[in-house]
Amino acid sequence: MEDVLWYVLASSRGGPTRVRILRALEERPRNANQLATDLEFDYTTIRHHLDVLMENNVVRRTDDDYAAVYLFTEQVRSNWDTVETVLEAVDPDSEAR
Amino acid sequence: MSALFTIAWVAAAVNVVLLAALGWVWVQGYRRHGASHTLGLLVFASLLLVQNGVWLYFYRLHEGYIGWFVNAGTDVQFGMVLLCGLETLALAFLVRITWS
Repeated sequence: MEDVLWYVLASSRGGPTRVRILRALEERPRNANQLATDLEFDYTTIRHHLDVLMENNVVRRTDDDYAAVYLFTEQVRSNWDTVETVLEAVDPDSEAR
Repeated sequence: MSALFTIAWVAAAVNVVLLAALGWVWVQGYRRHGASHTLGLLVFASLLLVQNGVWLYFYRLHEGYIGWFVNAGTDVQFGMVLLCGLETLALAFLVRITWS
């Protein structure tokens, strides 16, 4: 899981955006539409990044509904220390929010 | 023979392009957050870039090497193509996940 988190959040092109998505989801679960509005991104951009996060087992959807809320997977919850380390390394400022 | 020779040098050239794309993403990332994971990938890309630059030099500009390749047997020529060609395949997969 650790290598996946480093790759997906720190060493790929969409890393910074995915860090912001994780921070937002950490605050409270949201659906793709709310994420797009709150983070000021296109809906399709957000969906793309959520798909990448789902493919890598970082987040999951509550159901297949249009308004499905995104949550962290069990795998991420049990590795939360690693997630914090990666998020802090990639975006130390957002920690202070 | 000439087809294998062409594939070999084109593969090396494609590798240079793919490594430049990967290196660009990793340089941006490393400048932004300085994570050692990203630095590791950057070092990896830099060394492979040098490697493929040397291949390209041999294939395009080194008369002695070109002559050797032309006169080598098909097995050797095919082997040389595999060296650069398999790397192209590996880098293409890496670009796919890095560019997402």
